[in-house]
Amino acid sequence: MTQSLWYRIGLPVGVFVIFVAIWQILSVTGTLNPVTFPSPLEITIAFGELVTRGYFWDATRITLLETLLGFIIGAALGLVIGALTGTFRTFRTAFYPFVVAFQNTPRVALAPIFLTWFGFGITSKVVMAAVICFFPVVINTVAGIAGVDENAKTLFRSLGASKAQTFFRLTLPGASAMAFAGIKTALTLALLGAIVGEFVGASEGLGVLIKELNFQLEVAMGFAVVIFLAVIGLVLYGLIELLEKRLITWARD
Amino acid sequence: MTQKDSIAVTGEAITLTGVSKTYMTASGALPVLRDIDLHIEAGQFVSFVGPSGCGKSTLLNIIAGLVSYDTGTVTVGGQPPREGRDDIGFMLQKSVLMPWLNVSKNIELPFIIARRRGADTAQRVTDLLELVGLSDYATMNSWELSGGMQQRVALARALALDPGVMLMDEPFSALDEFKREHLNIEVAHMSERFGKTTILVTHSISEAVLMSDRIIALGANPGRMVGDITVDLERPRRPEMIGSDRFQQISNEVRAALSQGMEESQ
Ligand SMILES: Nc1ncnc2c1ncn2[C@@H]1O[C@H](COP(=O)(O)OP(=O)(O)OP(=O)(O)O)[C@@H](O)[C@H]1O
Ligand SMILES: [Mg+2]
Repeated sequence: MTQSLWYRIGLPVGVFVIFVAIWQILSVTGTLNPVTFPSPLEITIAFGELVTRGYFWDATRITLLETLLGFIIGAALGLVIGALTGTFRTFRTAFYPFVVAFQNTPRVALAPIFLTWFGFGITSKVVMAAVICFFPVVINTVAGIAGVDENAKTLFRSLGASKAQTFFRLTLPGASAMAFAGIKTALTLALLGAIVGEFVGASEGLGVLIKELNFQLEVAMGFAVVIFLAVIGLVLYGLIELLEKRLITWARD
Repeated sequence: MTQKDSIAVTGEAITLTGVSKTYMTASGALPVLRDIDLHIEAGQFVSFVGPSGCGKSTLLNIIAGLVSYDTGTVTVGGQPPREGRDDIGFMLQKSVLMPWLNVSKNIELPFIIARRRGADTAQRVTDLLELVGLSDYATMNSWELSGGMQQRVALARALALDPGVMLMDEPFSALDEFKREHLNIEVAHMSERFGKTTILVTHSISEAVLMSDRIIALGANPGRMVGDITVDLERPRRPEMIGSDRFQQISNEVRAALSQGMEESQ
């Protein structure tokens, strides 16, 4: 059954409105402590004030830069390493165990180390974001390559395809839907990596801003930044989905 | 130019002498084929029938150059088989169309792989589409087609480089009976018209009788020839022939050869 567009958009919007309304009522009636739990109205007002401040946009730029650079580096490396791992058995035997082992350690624990290595500038955050991005892309690319249809490989062999032809005309497109799923996950994780990196130590960025606002007990503004981050995450995800729809036209549900 | 002109009449003879094959598996050596001697005339339509696991696909894959053999010699058109010979067309049970390519592009794939795409390729693809009755579907996505249509695309792709030999491994066995019979008749007619040497692997005795000039019955453990039956039904073949006495006689001959083979295996 396919749901109508109105239904698919209207329902979550409705849920959101009801949620905000209840929150506002709880705030107005004093059930929620106004100091630690500002009302939606206060958050909105705080956000209106925030957007007039230059440092807010500077912080946004920095965090976005860290996120996107980390994403591009991490995803690109993930694709290359994933393609090598998926294609060359020796490479897989030599390196894949480390990928799997590393995959299961909490990578955010590396943030303090990256801080000592790369300092308070954006580099440590870019590296953090890249490292987090890398793994889902590698793992999905390898899985995508492993999932290429055996019959299709036989067909390519019977046609006498060279290694390069098989790679570019079968393996790559065949694995791309799966790899792209990893890339989508990676983009969301990149934002997380950048913010975690900023929490651990940075001079600028939205993560830094959240910490500072919290210290100053500007809780409403802190909330506003968090919600702004959620929106950034949504927009990035929407963009990457658009790209996916354009690139991978054949993957049906 | 019509489709008839652009698809040449080009059969090639196939000869196997003393071919044996043993697979090395985790649980030890598995002899699959023993001492296969078989000569197929250019333009002949031959079916391999036999119980599951008797080595039909292995034998076909050896002729396609996809699987190595341990002893004996194999020649297709006087040359040993190998992957990527333009004169051998290969078709599997699954259509294996590339979902990222549309119908035309799928048929064009062999030209691209063989680096033989030229000025006349587009016309050739059009002719092939017409031949398999898919002219209106050229720009469709392959996954939008029905199973039968997908196998038609695969057939066109196998015919793309105009091979003298067509090797088909249970090509229509995933289709419903009606579509299957329909496509079988079409393939029979194509081979009549174009004189391509064709080998069909099938589980169906009536399918083998309907299409072939000759049926090779194989027995299992290890795979060996247990019968070589000539099908002298007139051509062009028609579905109604299935009801004829001669058809039944030949079917029974094949059945007898197969059950004799089964007994010897036990
Ligand atoms: N690559 C392989 N490695 C090891 N054993 C194999 C391999 N391919 C096939 N076999 C074995 O060889 C035997 C013959 O297989 P083959 O696929 O040729 O049989 P078949 O007659 O085509 O069977 P079916 O009718 O089920 O398709 C089987 O026992 C099979 O398990
Ligand atoms: Mg088989």
